[in-house]
Amino acid sequence: MHEMGIAASLLDAIRAELARYPGARATRAGLRLGEYSGVDRESLSFCYGVLVEDSGLAPLALDIEFEPRGRDLDLIYLELDDE
Amino acid sequence: MSRIPLERKVLGENDRIAAGLRERFAAHQVRCLNLISSPGSGKTLLLEKTLGSFRPDRRVAVLTGDIQTDNDAVRLGRYGFPVRQITTAGACHLDARMVDRALEGWQLAGLDLLLIENVGNLVCPTSYDLGEEAKIVLLSVTEGEDKPLKYPGIFSRASLMVLTKIDLLPYVPFDVGKAVEYARGLNPAMDVMELSAMTGQGLGNWMAWLDSAATHGMP
Repeated sequence: MHEMGIAASLLDAIRAELARYPGARATRAGLRLGEYSGVDRESLSFCYGVLVEDSGLAPLALDIEFEPRGRDLDLIYLELDDE
Repeated sequence: MSRIPLERKVLGENDRIAAGLRERFAAHQVRCLNLISSPGSGKTLLLEKTLGSFRPDRRVAVLTGDIQTDNDAVRLGRYGFPVRQITTAGACHLDARMVDRALEGWQLAGLDLLLIENVGNLVCPTSYDLGEEAKIVLLSVTEGEDKPLKYPGIFSRASLMVLTKIDLLPYVPFDVGKAVEYARGLNPAMDVMELSAMTGQGLGNWMAWLDSAATHGMP
């Protein structure tokens, strides 16, 4: 239900990290999603797919690393296109 | 192509505001409790009975969240204590910024207990820290006793599970033992309490728990 807001927060986090690398473009982001985080993986993937298209960051793939019994909702990596 | 390892909280902005709230609550020795449950589990009635049981000079205030209407604030405002409604206009949870805004103009120094009634929902409120000292989850006996298994996020985080509407136990197939077993399977340290806000059964234990939490911190 709140996954659209979570997806927007994820894009904000990605932008904040990217700001540390002026001129760089991200091609892939990694998210650690805890089973007990209160966030549904499928719903978040759907919402992220919708929002990223108009974010100015697309194409930017999202990998979700599921953490059994975990509570995390963390951006854990960005892959940058160095070229 | 290069991969940059990170450990950044997606809800870091909410967590930052919540940390600020927690510091303010601590500075003024305000105990803040966040009540979470399904819609209709009896949060508002329990808070009504709670406020009705306090002495008039009790330093308590309530924030109550709903998607629409100020009905709950009207109900809770009858008891003479400060109450504010947070209407989320569609959002299925309270977040720390909503709480921060709702506290504007209140003197925290005049409080020792702040009760937050979250939007009725067992999923979304789980993700958002409000700066509270503890989350309290309510589970009514008209729901299934397997709710802790279905919604492990909140039951693994809550410090206290309150089983409500126990006056209805003779009429519903709710297994209290199973509910407690499931909840403690996720969260062995969780306190459990049974009560009926309607009849008053168990309300004394709840008030004693609140008094202890307000005076000494979490039991």
